[in-house]
This record gives sequence, C-alpha cells and structure tokens, in this order.
Amino acid sequence: MTLQLRAIALLVGCAAPVAAGAQTVQNATLRRAQQAYDNLEYRQVVSLAQAALRERLTGAERARAYELLGFTYGALDSILKAVDAFKQVVLIDPERQLDPNRVSPKAYSAFDVALRQVLLVRQLRIDSTSFVGGRGAVPIRFTVTQPARVVTRAIGTSGGSYVIDSGAWNGQVNLSWPARLANGDPVPAGNYTVVVDARLGQNAFSASQPIRVSHGSVDTLPSLTSLPGYQYLPETEVPPQSWRPLGLAFLYTGGALVGTLGLESSSLGSSSKRELAVVGGAALVTGFVMTLRKPAARPAAANILYNRLLRDQIARRNQDIAKENVARRQQVQLTLVPLSKPGGAGPR
Amino acid sequence: MMRAAAGAVLLVLAARAALAQGVTVTVGPQLALASYREVASGLRYQGTGFGGGVSARYRKFSAEAGVVRLTFDPAAGGTATSGFTATEVDAWLAYDLAPYASVEVGFIRRTADPEFDAQSVGAVRIGARSFYEIGPGATVLFRANYLAAPKFSGGGHAGFSVDLGLGVDVRLAGKLHGTAAYAFQRINRKTNPGGTGEIDAPIQGTVARVGLAVGF
Repeated sequence: MTLQLRAIALLVGCAAPVAAGAQTVQNATLRRAQQAYDNLEYRQVVSLAQAALRERLTGAERARAYELLGFTYGALDSILKAVDAFKQVVLIDPERQLDPNRVSPKAYSAFDVALRQVLLVRQLRIDSTSFVGGRGAVPIRFTVTQPARVVTRAIGTSGGSYVIDSGAWNGQVNLSWPARLANGDPVPAGNYTVVVDARLGQNAFSASQPIRVSHGSVDTLPSLTSLPGYQYLPETEVPPQSWRPLGLAFLYTGGALVGTLGLESSSLGSSSKRELAVVGGAALVTGFVMTLRKPAARPAAANILYNRLLRDQIARRNQDIAKENVARRQQVQLTLVPLSKPGGAGPR
Repeated sequence: MMRAAAGAVLLVLAARAALAQGVTVTVGPQLALASYREVASGLRYQGTGFGGGVSARYRKFSAEAGVVRLTFDPAAGGTATSGFTATEVDAWLAYDLAPYASVEVGFIRRTADPEFDAQSVGAVRIGARSFYEIGPGATVLFRANYLAAPKFSGGGHAGFSVDLGLGVDVRLAGKLHGTAAYAFQRINRKTNPGGTGEIDAPIQGTVARVGLAVGF
C-alpha cells in the first residue's frame, strides 16, 4: 500500500509541472506528447517530443518539449539524458524554476545538475529605491550558475555606460550601485539598462533589466519652535500671600512717627498728629488691603534664565537646520524604478 | 485762581509730552491739612488747602513736584490773633540706587501772605528716600531731606533743618491713582533782631496731602 502511494505521488509530482504549462501548447505533436505523458506512456512521450522538436515550435513550446523529455527521462532513470534535456530548457528559459515540493527528486536533481553545467545569469533583481545622491545605493541581485567573470554595467538610452561591478562570481551575487559618476555627481536622469555579462572561457551569458532613474529635490527640514521634552516656563511667579505688605506699611508709618516725635522742637511743643494720622492711616489700610489681596506676580529669575537658554538652544538648532537645508537644496533625490523587461536574456 | 488753572493745564500738557518719550507720568489734584508753629509754642496755626501734584519716572530717574495753597487760622488755645495764607512749592529729582532706594535733590519754597504774618522760606533739599511696592500698584515711601541753605523773609539762618515724609500711592482702577503724602518740617532758625544777640526762632510744620492722580 505504501509503495503504491509513493508511486502515485511520484507520478503526480512529475506530471504536475508539465500539465500546468499544457494550456499554451499549439503544436499538435507536442499536445500528443503531453497526453502520452499524462497517460504514463513514456516511450511514446520520447518519440512524440522528439518529433515535435523537429517541427516549427515557439520558444515556449520548444522549452516545454525539452521539459517533457527531461521529466520522462527522469522517470525512466536516464539521468544523463534528463540533464541534457533540462540544459536545453534553461538555455531557452533561464528563469525556469522547478518546485522541489511538486516534482520528483530525480527530475529536480537532474534539473539542478543541468543548471550547474550551463553558464547562466538568473534572477536578476533590482528593487525600487529612493535615496539622496551620495548617501545610498541601488541593491542589485542575481545568480551566476557557474564560476565566471561577471561585468555589471548600466547603459543609458542616451549612450552613457557606467560599470557597476566587475569580478569573479559564482552563485548568489549582491551588489550595491551608488549611481554616481566618477566626480561624485549622480548619474543623469533617464532610462538605463542594467546588463550583467558573465563569461567563462568561450561561454558567455547576459541578462538585463531596464530601469528608470529620476531626479528630485531633497526635502528640507522645518525650523524648530520648541525642543521635544522641553517647554518654556512662566517668567513670572506669584509669591505666597503674607503679612509683609501690612508689616511694611507699619514700618514706614512707624518711621515717620518716630522721626516726627524725635525731631519735634521742645520749645514749640508737640505738633499736630492729625496730618500723620491721615496719611499713616491710609498707608496702614493700604497695607492691610494688600495683605488680603493676591500678591503681584514677580519675575522668576531662574525661569527667565532657563527660557533664555532654551531660546538660545533652539536658535542654534535652527542655525544648524538652515545650514543643513542649504546643503540639501544642492542635493539630488535619486529615485530608481525597475521597468518591465522586454525579454533580454540569453546565451551569446 | 487763574494761575492755578493755568498751572494745571501746563501740568497736563507736560505729562502728555513726557508720555511720548516713554515716561510714566501721574498728575492730579490734592486736598491738604496743615499745622504750623513758629518761635514759641503759643504761636500755632492749623489750616486746610488744595493743590496739585505731578510725578514722572524714566528708567532710574524720577521727578516729583507739588504745589499747595494753605489757609492757616490760629489754633485754639494759641496766642496768634490772625491767620494767613501760604503757598508751598516742593520739587524733587531722584535717582534710584536700588530697586527700593534712591537719592534725591530738590527745593522748597513757601511764601506767606501777608508777608510778615509768617516766615517765607526757601531751601535746597538733599536727601534720600526708600520706597517699596507692597502690592499690585501700591507703593509706600519714606523720605528724609536735609534743607540746606535756607533763606527766610525775616532774615536769620538755620544750622539744622530737616524734612521727613511719608507717602502712599495706590492704583485704584485703571489709570486712576489715590495718593497721600505727609511732611514734617523742623527748622532751627536763629535770628538777631536789632543786633541784640542771637535768639532761637524755630519753625515746625506738618502737611498732609490727599488726592487723586491720573497715570499716563
């Protein structure tokens, strides 16, 4: 029972990727080969697929025919032939991927061996990005299937060509392109094609990805009106209520009374106190009323100093921001967007 | 009366002109109570009157002036037989040494009418004052002035003459102030009538002035 289940799973796994692409097949011979594969008639698949390859086929149909042969040879344990067939598949469609969860391990390993026997640049990816010129880079990723000399360039539609990288690479490659000219200026705005050329002996392969580079102005910083976490303090404070006003009124009135009594002439006798009583009474009443009233706000020296320091700090920050904005107005915001690929990869 | 009105108009005009220069000014009318003693304890008078005052402040400088016309009558129990009127003009110019103290100079001139019913006096003031804001818009003041180089209508001289003062200024509402000022004068006048020898003829007086003032 277990063996039967494994066989069914294997067959379903081999058939699934082939069936998935059968909808676009126009060639009758290739369709028959597909039906034979679905019916597990592997001998017939081989003859029909080979016959189809001798006919006029589109690129996709040709890749499908080789893929059928690869899966079939894998099922028939003809691994070398399966590898050869898969080589043809990836040469026609370098981005072709097999899902290891959906195909048989034999077919997948044959596909993997085929990939490593052919020089390819696959999965060239350039992400959308935006950065200030000189302060960022464009991430470029691709996979080279064999150790090779790889030159990566950006070729502008207006004719400019900039070497991004040149080196010996194998496997996954991650590059960063600052998009700057030799003098430090950002590359001119426009459409470019990032071309990755891999060369190994007589073999060469090239992959490309069009991109658009646009220039924009860099956002300037707003001036500060306050510092986060710091607030202006009130520059006046109301002292607590006290008897001080009445005390002062007593003190001043007492001074006048003592002065008057002390300076009175003995020969002239005691002078009238009516005048002092009127004015002194007014002073005492005023002192008493002021004692009951809310005291006047007075300057808070510490708070005034603190606010002055805070204002100075904000002014210094704003000066720095102004300088930064002057620099930013001379900078360029580079925005890079990958464009749809017209279909530009293949062996040379 | 006409002279008083003209003086008031002049004060108001001066206050407005000063305001334009960033000077704070108050000006207003005053009622006065006064007492006056001369030569001996029996020669004493009490009186009332009216007048006006103006004050101004510019930074650390301040100025104050007042004029009052007093009508004195003989006090009960005294030996004086007739009254007199007196016009007193006081003026000070002060400079603040501290937020609560200043030095000041000025003058006093008091004229009596009839001329020989009381001594007319003129002197230079030199002194200091202390002032303190005891509440919002309320200030008390104490001053002590030495009256230098006094001149008297009846002649003579004075080696020791002082003037003490107490003042209150309260902002009642908006620009309206209430003012009260007390002054005590002691002048040790000596005279030599007919060359018979120098005798003491002291002068002592008190004046209380209560009024309203408008601030600009």
